Amino acid sequence: MLSSLSFLLFSALTACAYASSDYHERLLLRPLPQDTLLASFNFRSNETSAAYEQQNFRLFPRSLGQILRYAHTKELHLRFSVGRWDAENWGQRPWYGAREGSNGVELWAWIEASSEDEAFSRWLTLVNNLSGLFCASLNFIDATKTIRPVISFDPEGDHTSTSNLHLLHGTLPHEVVCTENLTPFLKLLPCKGKAGVSSLLDGHKLFDAAFQSMAIDVRPVCETLGENCVIEMEQTVDMVLDIPRSKRPRDNPIPRPLPIEEIECDTSKSYNAPDTCYPLDRKMEPAWNLTEVFGKPLKGACPLTEAEGPESEALCINTVPERTIHANTTGQYTESLSASDTLRCYKLPTAAEFDLILPEQRLTTGLVRGQPHLYASRSINGHGQERGSVQAVIKNPSPTDAVEFAYLESLPWFMKPYLHTLRAHVSTSSEDPLKETYYRPAVDRVRGTHLELRLVIPPASTLTLTYDFEKAILRYTEYPPDANRGFDAPPAVIRILGPFQSTDRKGLYLRTTPLLLSLPTPDFSMPYNVIILTSTVMALGFGNIFNLVVRRFVGADEVPALGGLKGIILGKVQRIKARFGKA
Amino acid sequence: MALLATLLALRNDARILKIPPYLSAFLILIGVAWLLVLPLDEYSRNTYVSENALLPGQVHTYFTGSEHDVFRAYRHEVAGLVDLPAQQRSDKLSELLRASNLKVATQKYTYTPSGRNISDENVYAVLQGPRADATEAIVLMASLKTMDGEHNYSGVALVLALARYFKRWSLWSKDIIFLISGDSTSGPQAWVDAYHDAHDPTTIESLALKSGALQGAVGVEYPAGPWGHRYDKLHIVYDGTNGQLPNLDLFNTAVNIASGQMGIGCTLQRMWHHGNSYPERLQTMLRGMLSQGLGHATGPHSAFIPYHVDAITLVTVGDGWHDEMGLGRTVESLFRSLNNLLEHLHQSFFFYLLLEAKRFVSIGTYLPSAMLIAANFSITAIALWVRSGRPQEPTPNPAATKPVPRSASQDAATESDHKRKEQEQSQQEDERKAVEHSTVIAIKDGATAIIPTEVLQISERPLFLPTAFVIIAHFLGLIPLAAFNHIPVEELRSSFLLAANLTTLLPLATAYFLSQFNRPTHQESTLIHCFSLLFLGMYLSALATLNFSQSLIVGLLTAPLSFVRRGKGGLVTALQFALLVAINPVMVVNSATYLSKVELLDVLVKAAEGWHIWGMWTQVVVWLVWWPAWFCGSVVVALGLF
Repeated sequence: MLSSLSFLLFSALTACAYASSDYHERLLLRPLPQDTLLASFNFRSNETSAAYEQQNFRLFPRSLGQILRYAHTKELHLRFSVGRWDAENWGQRPWYGAREGSNGVELWAWIEASSEDEAFSRWLTLVNNLSGLFCASLNFIDATKTIRPVISFDPEGDHTSTSNLHLLHGTLPHEVVCTENLTPFLKLLPCKGKAGVSSLLDGHKLFDAAFQSMAIDVRPVCETLGENCVIEMEQTVDMVLDIPRSKRPRDNPIPRPLPIEEIECDTSKSYNAPDTCYPLDRKMEPAWNLTEVFGKPLKGACPLTEAEGPESEALCINTVPERTIHANTTGQYTESLSASDTLRCYKLPTAAEFDLILPEQRLTTGLVRGQPHLYASRSINGHGQERGSVQAVIKNPSPTDAVEFAYLESLPWFMKPYLHTLRAHVSTSSEDPLKETYYRPAVDRVRGTHLELRLVIPPASTLTLTYDFEKAILRYTEYPPDANRGFDAPPAVIRILGPFQSTDRKGLYLRTTPLLLSLPTPDFSMPYNVIILTSTVMALGFGNIFNLVVRRFVGADEVPALGGLKGIILGKVQRIKARFGKA
Repeated sequence: MALLATLLALRNDARILKIPPYLSAFLILIGVAWLLVLPLDEYSRNTYVSENALLPGQVHTYFTGSEHDVFRAYRHEVAGLVDLPAQQRSDKLSELLRASNLKVATQKYTYTPSGRNISDENVYAVLQGPRADATEAIVLMASLKTMDGEHNYSGVALVLALARYFKRWSLWSKDIIFLISGDSTSGPQAWVDAYHDAHDPTTIESLALKSGALQGAVGVEYPAGPWGHRYDKLHIVYDGTNGQLPNLDLFNTAVNIASGQMGIGCTLQRMWHHGNSYPERLQTMLRGMLSQGLGHATGPHSAFIPYHVDAITLVTVGDGWHDEMGLGRTVESLFRSLNNLLEHLHQSFFFYLLLEAKRFVSIGTYLPSAMLIAANFSITAIALWVRSGRPQEPTPNPAATKPVPRSASQDAATESDHKRKEQEQSQQEDERKAVEHSTVIAIKDGATAIIPTEVLQISERPLFLPTAFVIIAHFLGLIPLAAFNHIPVEELRSSFLLAANLTTLLPLATAYFLSQFNRPTHQESTLIHCFSLLFLGMYLSALATLNFSQSLIVGLLTAPLSFVRRGKGGLVTALQFALLVAINPVMVVNSATYLSKVELLDVLVKAAEGWHIWGMWTQVVVWLVWWPAWFCGSVVVALGLF
C-alpha cells in the first residue's frame, strides 16, 4: 500500500511539474516479486506552439513534427509492445496502463479535418509516414483495421476546438517489435541515448524483457484555455527485466544448470543425499547493479535537463526503506528520499558514469505493490474451422467498489461476431452488467467490427463476457505467407470509467492478450495440382478439336482410284503442279 | 463405336451376371495382396522431416548436472504423494510447481460411464513465454498412472524438473503448459475438453487458467520407482482416438532427436525387437492398423488429436543403459524444435502407416486396398440389382429359331413365367412349328425388326418391403448401441451373452416369421441383400478416408456377405448360415478377446468409457454399419432354410 501511495504521489508530482521546463527525463526502478525489476523510462520535451507553428524545432524532433503538421494531427499516441503484464504477480500497471499498448503496434490520433473522409485520408498519410519513421509496418493499418472509438479514449491535451477533431484508432497485433523500432525511438530523444538515463536503453536487454512497452504521446498542453500552449511530447519505455536472466553475460547467455554446490538443498528431507537435492527457495532479494542489468553503464546526466529542483533527479528507485542501495560514481550526485522513504531519487553527475549497486539481501518486509483495479483475460473457445466463441473473464478484486468500465473490441472482418449471442454474466448477481453497447458491424474486405461496451462489475465478482463468431473463408490470395499460423485478433482495450479516477487526464487502462484465430486454410499446393490437371484436360480436348477443325475430310469415293507407285508419283506431280500453278 | 456397341450388346448377355462374384473375390484378393506388398521397399518410403522450421536435434541440450539431483529429489517427492487423496496430492504438486514461479491451477473431473465413477484431479501449470503473447502454447504432460496401470513416478518427476529448468530459458516463443493428470486417458480428455470449452461444466470443472491455441502435446510415461530404472528404448505411441494420427513431422522429430541426437532407440506398436525384416515390418503395420481400427485411446496424447493438436507419448521400455536425463534431454530438444514452429504443423502427412520408426506408407499408396474391398460390396450390390430386374432363369437364347428341348424349357419355368408357360402349352399342338418363342414385329424408320417378346418384358421391382426392411435393420442397431453404452458394469457380461444369443437367433426368427407370409419373394430378398451391400460399400469407402484400418477390418470381416445367396435349403445354405454366425459382430468380439487373452468385460467397459469420455465412434460403426449388414445378409440366407 505504501508503495502504491508513493507511486501515486510520484505521478502527481510529475503531473504538476508539467510545462515548467523544456526537457525532463526520469527512470523509475521498481523491484517486483520473483526477482524481476520494472524500469520505467520517461522522457518529456516541450515546444511552444508558436515555435511549433513556425517549424522552429528545438527539443521536439523535426521529423515527427513535420509529419504531424502535414497530417493535421493534433494529438498522437503510438505504442510498441511485446509480452504481457503479469498483474497477479506484478500488481498495478505502470502509469495505470495509460502508456501501455496492445501487443504489436497500436496507434490512435486526433486528426483535424472537416469531414470523415478527409480525416481518413489524413490518417492514411499519417500511418504511412510513421511507418517510414519507425521502421514498422504501420502502413498496413488500412480501413479494415481502423476504428473510431466512442467511449474508450478521451483526448489528453487541451484542444481549442474539438468539433472538427476525429479520433482514429488502429492496431497491428502481429507486428514484431524489435531493435529496428528502438533505434528511431532513441533518435527522437534530445540526448539520443548517448547521455542521461536513455544511455541504459539497449536493444538486447529491452527485447529480452518479460514485458516491454514503448510509447510516444504528443499533445498540446495549455496553461489556460488557448493561451501559453506548448506541444508536449512524451516518450515512455516500460520494461520488466528478469534479474537473473539479465545478469547473464552477453557472450554466455545459456542458463546452464548451476553447480550443485551453489544450490541450497533441503537437508531435512529424508532422502537427502549427495546426489539428491530438493532445492530450497532462498527468499533473498537478488544482488544487481545498473550496468549488469542493463548491459551498459549509465553515462551521467543529459545536459539538457534542469540543473536544480526535483525535475533534475533523473533516476529514482521505489522499494522498501530497508533495502541497501549504494551509488557508485566518480562524479557528484545527490540522493533525496520522499514518500516515507520508499522513493529514493538521484541527481545524476554530468559526464561521469553512475551506477547503483544493490547487494543480495533478505528482506523482512515484503515488497508491496499496488492492487490492480481489474484483472482481465480473454481466450477463444471451441474448435473447428467454422465457428468459435470468445470468452473474456474480468475480475474485480475490490471488496467494496463496483467498477464501471468500457470494453473495446476491434475485430478483423473475417471474424464475424454474432451480436445476439453476446452474454455478460456476473458471478454474484443476476443484474445485467451490460449498460451500453456501441456496435458497428464489419463489411467484408472493407472494415472490421467495432464493438464497444459499457459494463459495471459489482465488488468481488467475476464478469464473463462471451460471444460466438463465424470464421469467414478467405480468397486464396488473401492469406499471409505463414497462413497456417492463424490470424491475430487484437487485444481488447478496457478503460476504467469509475469510481477510480486518474490524477491526470491519461485515464486508467488495461489490455487483454491478443487471440490467435485459425481460419480454414487451403492446401496451397492444390492450385498447382489443379492447374496441371486442367492443362492436361485442355490439351487433350484442344488436340482433338484442332485435329477435327484443320483436317480435310474426303469421301472414300472421292479419292482418285490411282494406286501403287504410279499413283504416288502422280500425286506428287500434281501437288507440285498446284503449288507452281498458284505461284 | 464398334467397341461401344459390343459392350452394349454384352449388357444383354446372361453371362455378364456370372462375372460379379469373381470380380468381387478378385478385388478382395487384390486388396489384401496390396496390403501385403506395402512393407516392401518399393512401396514404402523413408520418413523425413518436412517442416523446415523444426530443425530437430540442432540444439545443444543442457538438462544435466545439478538438474539430475533435483530430479531425484522430485522423484522421491512424487513417490511420497501418489497414494495421497486427490486433494492433498494436488496441493503438493501445486506447491512444487509454484516453487518454480509458474502459474498453477487445478481441475476436478467426474465421469460416470457404465455406472462406474471415474473422478480425479488434474494439476497444471503455465510457463508464460517471456516474450510470447499468449497466442500459442505447447503441452508437456504426465499422468500419475501409466496406460498399463503402473505409477508414473519418474514421468511426473521429469515434468516437474523440466518445468523448473524451462523457466530459466528466455527463448520460449510459446507458452508451455505442464499437465499432471490423474489418470492416463480421462484426465487429459477432461482437461483438453475444458480447454476448448467443449466440456460439461456440471461434472468437469472449467479451467481457471488458459493460454493460447495448442500447437503440440508430448506425454511422458516412465514408470520407474524412487530408486530409478535404466531403460532400453523409447516406445513412441501416436494413435489418437478414432484412429486419427498426429502429423508425421512430430513423430519424425521425436524419432530423429531420440535416435539421432540422444542415441536412444525408438520402437512403436509394442514391437520391442524390430530387425527391419519383411515379417516384422508387416507385423508392425498390422498392429498399427489394429490399434487404429479399434479407435481407442492409446495414451494421454490421444485426447488431443481430435482437437487438431498433434500429440505423442514417449514411453520407456526394457532394461538398458539410458537414464532419465536422456529422456529429459530428448524432451528438451523436442520442445526446442516445437518452439521453432511458426505455423501449426501442417507440412507432413496426417494419414500414414508406419512400418518401423523410419519407414512409412502414405495414404496414396495404401488407400486403394481398403477402397477395393469396399468396392467389392458395391459391385455385388449392382449385380444383385440387375439380377432382381431379370426373370429368375432367363432363357439361354430367346431369339433362337430352333425349339428349345422340352425338358429344359420345363425346368426353366418358374412362377413368374407362368403366363408364358401357358401360352407355350397352348401352342404345343403344332410341335413341328419351328418358332418356340413369341415374337413382336417392330417397325421404325422404315426398318422392320423381329424381337423376341421376352427381351421386351419388364420385370417390376417391388421396392417397399426391401427398403423398409433394410432401414429397420439399420435402426435396430441403435438398441444394442444404446444398451451397451448405458448398462452398468455389473450387468455388462450377462447382457453381452444375451446379445450374442439374440443376434444369432434373430435372423432365423425373422426369416421364419417372414416366411409365414410367403414374403419376401426371391426378388425381394435379392433387393434386401442388394440394398444392404450398397449401404455397406458406401459406408466403408467413406470410412476408408477417415479411418482406413477400421474400414479395412470391417470390410474383411463382412466380405462373405458378398458371396452368400438365398439358397433352397439343404447343406449349402446351412453351411452359409453357419459361416455367417461365426462372423457376426458379437461373435467376432467374443472370439477376438478369447484369442488375444483379453478380458471380455474389460473390452466392454473400455468401449463404454470410450463412448462417454473419449468420443469414440467404433461402436457406431459396429452397431450401425456392420451389424445391420450382417443381419440383412443372414436373414436372406436364413430365408432359404424355410
